[in-house]
Amino acid sequence: MLIFEPHIHMFSRVTDDYEKLSLAGVRAVLEPAFWLGQNRTSVGSFIDYFDTLIGWERHRAQQFGIHHFCTMGLNPREANDERVNQDVLDVLPRYCEKDSCVAIGEIGLDDQTKTEEKFLAAQIELARQHGLPVLVHTPHRDKKKGFQRCIDIVNEQNFPWERVLLDHGNEETIKITRDLGCYSGFSIYPHTKMDPHRMVSIVLEYGVDSFVINSAADWGVSDPMMVPRTVVKLEQAGVPRDKIEQLVWKNPIKFFGQSGRLEESMLAAPASANLRETFEGNSVLRGQDPDKM
Amino acid sequence: MVLDPMSTTQLRDLLGKHAELAEQLLGQLSDDRSRLPVLFPGLPRRFGKDPVGGGRRNFGDAIVDLDAFRTCDLAAAYLSASIEATSEELVDIYAHGDIEERAMLLRSLSFLPLNDATQRLLIEVLRTNVMLHLEAAMCDQNVLARAIAAGIVDLDTGNRLLLKFAFVDMPLARAFDAETFASAELSTMLQDLATEREAAGRSVWCDTWRMLGRAPCPGALARLIGGLEHGDDQVRRAAAEGLLLLNERGPGISHFAKERLGREPRPAIQDLLRQLTS
Repeated sequence: MLIFEPHIHMFSRVTDDYEKLSLAGVRAVLEPAFWLGQNRTSVGSFIDYFDTLIGWERHRAQQFGIHHFCTMGLNPREANDERVNQDVLDVLPRYCEKDSCVAIGEIGLDDQTKTEEKFLAAQIELARQHGLPVLVHTPHRDKKKGFQRCIDIVNEQNFPWERVLLDHGNEETIKITRDLGCYSGFSIYPHTKMDPHRMVSIVLEYGVDSFVINSAADWGVSDPMMVPRTVVKLEQAGVPRDKIEQLVWKNPIKFFGQSGRLEESMLAAPASANLRETFEGNSVLRGQDPDKM
Repeated sequence: MVLDPMSTTQLRDLLGKHAELAEQLLGQLSDDRSRLPVLFPGLPRRFGKDPVGGGRRNFGDAIVDLDAFRTCDLAAAYLSASIEATSEELVDIYAHGDIEERAMLLRSLSFLPLNDATQRLLIEVLRTNVMLHLEAAMCDQNVLARAIAAGIVDLDTGNRLLLKFAFVDMPLARAFDAETFASAELSTMLQDLATEREAAGRSVWCDTWRMLGRAPCPGALARLIGGLEHGDDQVRRAAAEGLLLLNERGPGISHFAKERLGREPRPAIQDLLRQLTS
């Protein structure tokens, strides 16, 4: 079964993870722009990171047959930082137009400050201007209130709900989002947030319509293989194969395909995997013979 | 350097039914040229990636292979040329561009003045081995030869760009008029790379033998003759072709060719060996 992993921060993962993902059937990944674990102090650091998402990271993924897409945005945590927030917003338009950018994100709320709300609204408007959907990070603390505030802001912006993916959902948030007509994302973590067993229960109760699941793997304790692992649990629970395929392949492609930059046919074959190629002189081979890989 | 106005006229003609869209975008840039980096990444989506077609064509002293150019490449060239994009603007697009933007920009070079940007972007190609970029700069147009002739790029940079072909194992025949770059200096660089590869037990770029024949350097003859006994058909063929390219072939070569001929299983290589013995 082919898998589209719709939320994974490969920037902070090792190359071996790409190989494991590829062997597990992951044909495409989506890497949302996010917080790097410590605050950046100038817009230049963001620019370099955005360039990595459209350049080196795509190249690295392709070496293992994986198509790499991304979202661009100012994450909610650094939206509070006056040293960078407005400057990042100013450079985003050129990155929103990149071919591999299929949404604005991760945007949303974290500490739920007024400044976060201002930049969330501004970036929803940016999405409208560039014809992109939005990937919304919902708070991990005081989740229900933050979830509701995200919803209020999307409504205030009069942004179409079918172009919104509210991520990091759980059993509590399903009840809020099901009637909105948006997509709901569930991040499957080894120890926190949603786990594979809880996800199986959700699918058995609610089905898979407008749901996507992801590993949200990053620099923390996380597991990039969580989507394939959850697929196995779903199969063991008797969920029909076509439903699982809808959850891990069709749904994310349909959502991010609203950008006009992603179609299922583009993913029919693995990404080009010429191990002789380098990117700006840098190879994943580290001097090893590509013919022996 | 002033841009040849003929370039933009010809480009607009080549854009055909897409010329109107190009004019609309140019209108946006006339109002605000800072939108160039915002418009650039969307050009493949707006104009498509279909090949223009029509083979090699001259634009002043520039020659481009329109079979390799896509409509979006022409649109990128048209916009950049029309607003007389500065070196800083062009280099900025390359620095922060994705793979397609970089390819479009490199193909645009034939329609832009030869200047500091030409040199900086060709040097970027030295660092970037993405095949698409190597092809855009080295296979689809004669910009390298023009840049060398104009003194924008030095011969050493040209040699290192050709060496890149060997590094990524791209056939020499794909490079635009590559044989004109043959020199003893380049052959020495290729010979050194071949030795390094052999020491590591790795394959060697077959066109090494052809380039050595075209412009011999110390050790070239030994490598060429040794190539006749190589286990790889492609290498034996390249070695025989390289020996045929040598301006002066002593009687020794004929001896080795005759010796090999009786044991050579490939008819095409047999033909080359017969030429060497005659």
